[in-house]
Amino acid sequence: MKAHFRGLEVMQQTTAFDTSKHHINMTAIVLDGKRVPQVFRAILDTGAPRSEFSDRFLKTINLLPTDQLPDVKIPKGLQTKKYGTAMLPHIECLGQTLKNVSGVISRFDESWGVDALIGLDFFRMFRVTVDYRQGLIITESFNSKRKAQN
Amino acid sequence: MGKKMMWEEMKKTFPNEWLRIANYELDASGEMKSGEVLYHSSSKEEVYSQPLTGKSEAFWYTGESTFSGLRSHATNDCI
Repeated sequence: MKAHFRGLEVMQQTTAFDTSKHHINMTAIVLDGKRVPQVFRAILDTGAPRSEFSDRFLKTINLLPTDQLPDVKIPKGLQTKKYGTAMLPHIECLGQTLKNVSGVISRFDESWGVDALIGLDFFRMFRVTVDYRQGLIITESFNSKRKAQN
Repeated sequence: MGKKMMWEEMKKTFPNEWLRIANYELDASGEMKSGEVLYHSSSKEEVYSQPLTGKSEAFWYTGESTFSGLRSHATNDCI
């Protein structure tokens, strides 16, 4: 949906989520190494400063910068171990498309059941409204193109 | 390739397993509606180590996530 705010063009996207779940689960799309769209699950994590992606998933879709998965151990008491960054050329998430995103590579605990945590870096790029009552996430991006003044 | 299955059927047939699904259909919220299961296993490695088909796939888990938020990132003595 297109709207205007203070003369700026606002692109608004609304995504429903399941409020019965403990966390906000979502579906995202990434273009793999051959630019084929691959669909995966993620959790919106406001406790993560940067978005993290499962190294196993990045390896499968040919976006891990190394040929082999390194020998990484998740420290005792944690469920994740961050160890690098990867450039993701195209991601679609919550109705927004991001190009050339630098994501943190992490070893995830398998029982998380997801391949990414979408963190605060995403919130920095958009205005995000989480409406738990309605089970909706509204993301708004601002186009610098100003509405023509009459 | 497997037969077309509804998501509820996939969860019942492959409980707590990782799936790779082809010819998938998502609903308006992005939740899985149906698809054909290419690979399934309780081991993520087993499913993810299979080569890509060259077509779009969905990577899904049929169990409940144990993700515990901030506690997943911080050590006990940091909280």
